[in-house]
Amino acid sequence: MKVGLDHKVLVKYPFLKESQDLVRGHTESLDRFLSGNPGKSAVSRAKDRVENALSSKKQFDESDPGRLPPELEIASYAIARILISCTKERALIERFAQYEAERMFFYLQMEEPRIKRYVAQSAGTDPDASEVPVVKYIELAAQMRDDRWRLVNRDIVHGYVKVEAGEHDELLRECIRALIRQDLPLRVPAAICESLTPVTEQILTRFQERILEQFGEIDEGSFPPCIHALITAITAGTNLPHTGRFAITAFLHIIGMDTTTIVEIYSRAPDFDIEKTMYQVEHITGRGGTEYVPPSCATMRTYGLCTNRNKLCDTVSHPLTYYKIRKKRGKTPGESVTPPSH
Amino acid sequence: MKPATMEFLKQRFGEYYQKGFLTVPSALEQREWGFVFFDPSSEIRMRRHISFCDQQELTSYLRSMVPAHAYYSTAYYATPSAPTMNEKGWCGADLIFDIDADHIIRGPYDVMLERVREETIKLVAMLTDELGFAAHDLAVVFSGGRGYHIHVKDIAVRGWGSHERREVVDYVCGTGISPGVLLRGGAACHQGWGRRYTDAARDYLADILGMERADAIRKLTAVRGIGETSAEALLERRDMIIDEIGRDPYHALARNRVMRTIAASDEFRTILRNYAALADEPVTTDTRRLIRMPTSLHGGSGFRVTPLTTSELHDFDPLINAVTFGIRDVKIDMRSSLTIPLLGNTHALEKGISAVPEALAVFLCCRGLAEIAGVR
Repeated sequence: MKVGLDHKVLVKYPFLKESQDLVRGHTESLDRFLSGNPGKSAVSRAKDRVENALSSKKQFDESDPGRLPPELEIASYAIARILISCTKERALIERFAQYEAERMFFYLQMEEPRIKRYVAQSAGTDPDASEVPVVKYIELAAQMRDDRWRLVNRDIVHGYVKVEAGEHDELLRECIRALIRQDLPLRVPAAICESLTPVTEQILTRFQERILEQFGEIDEGSFPPCIHALITAITAGTNLPHTGRFAITAFLHIIGMDTTTIVEIYSRAPDFDIEKTMYQVEHITGRGGTEYVPPSCATMRTYGLCTNRNKLCDTVSHPLTYYKIRKKRGKTPGESVTPPSH
Repeated sequence: MKPATMEFLKQRFGEYYQKGFLTVPSALEQREWGFVFFDPSSEIRMRRHISFCDQQELTSYLRSMVPAHAYYSTAYYATPSAPTMNEKGWCGADLIFDIDADHIIRGPYDVMLERVREETIKLVAMLTDELGFAAHDLAVVFSGGRGYHIHVKDIAVRGWGSHERREVVDYVCGTGISPGVLLRGGAACHQGWGRRYTDAARDYLADILGMERADAIRKLTAVRGIGETSAEALLERRDMIIDEIGRDPYHALARNRVMRTIAASDEFRTILRNYAALADEPVTTDTRRLIRMPTSLHGGSGFRVTPLTTSELHDFDPLINAVTFGIRDVKIDMRSSLTIPLLGNTHALEKGISAVPEALAVFLCCRGLAEIAGVR
């Protein structure tokens, strides 16, 4: 199907091949482009894009998807991808993909049906399909958190997962996100990253600030019930499985607890062995070169470590998210989610 | 293990690697290898970060080093011999399932092996009939120990991370079922987990049906959240519920408070688990795992890590078909008395010295149940 897409449309969906063709027609070599004036305004817009992705409130402007001429607006999307690739921060890349996908999806919902259909097909989904091949389904659903997306809860017939008409929009948004995420981080030549250093530095500073805002000081009262239960188990002298030790150590490390304090928690156990504990904790917190991320709610469930679920648990897919939300709400009195625990 | 025993095993394993038919994994040059040796003096338990550029190189390594255990990475790497994961350059990995008796059943070896074989047949059926993987993309392998491995070589899943792999392993294990979602369509109850879930509910109710009333009440009220009144009411309406499961399972099971409470009980979960294929979750979600090389020997049993077609799996008996050694007599010294079936015979062995077929001697020495008696 050939759909005429004007520039106003292309600006909204910069991942489309047509959008990228438009930029390609207008730009010379990348380094020369970046040093010129149009390039500079595109870089500045790219920085905005990344910073918007970092900001917690997402606002999209209905009438005006971009301030720059279309080709520069689209170029700013490509440059934003370069910027985050230069930072090499995984969390930043995830946020960016999430933000851009939500933005495109926001515009899509107001789009003419034929354009929406075209964009959906370009992203690789069929908006009329009543079933999706298992492999494709898993690639989309693995990132979606609601129970109803779990493969185990789906109606599957011979390699096809049934989907309802009302589910296509969500699949489409995830499809776009996956597409944006796909080739990131890009392999950017060192010289290009270097020339962008002033901008990436600013982005990284902003990113660090955001992390501090979210986690800040450690607040044991905001721990999710699963982590609470694990700490209680250690104190009670229960022999935790490796998965439990891993979950708790990785969690405490990510929220900013130092190794010594983590080891102190383990020291509450009656059979505490400092050398062994130090070794394990240091391994998990990244002394061996790999920094581990604490398990998600799904993983905690498979390990059998998801306990005492409460209402807030139903709305999150990761113990860290629980902690973030709880901590934030804790600051505002009277907005407590669960009664204070004793 | 005494030096003579170790020497005996090394000779037998060496003989196997000289003559045995060895298969190599696809993309051999992209795999990392790891080996464990008989010699306990080596400091490092496993020697890994090894790579081979062709079959010739691998075969001569096996023949000259005669490892007790041979593993390769399920992952494909740009530089498989690099010392750290970052430097290896991960390019994808086969999708692996491990069905191991350790997680499923305890008991005599032959009983365990039989149970995990059934579990593996279930898993193969779920992967092919339900999830639609092509049978020719599945390699089923007897691990040589207490279980089976399935390698899914479908190129479409190679790039998957842990999240995607978890969806599949949770599916086969029945982890994360939410009855309200699963049963909502109704149509789902003719196949897959919808059917298994409703079958499990029928099993549970049928069990109660066969009981004395007082026992049934006791059993129901033992479930946390069910009082005597609810239990009585359920017993009254039991037939109706069983009937309703067939017509409107969502209403019967997900909307009914008592049935929902039962579904959360340990007993119901156990019934449901019988319908699952209990693969070991961490093995599947780990994208950097080492797995035993099919056609190598398992140093803990002397059995051949045996590749099987899905149809061979149906009449596979590891205690016959995974045995590669002969029947010439070998003198061994048993640590304790033991009865064990092997190669179609049941061997009743007394503590102390006796002569047994070579294959049995290898098995018992590998398992540490006997030493070689007398030096040849």
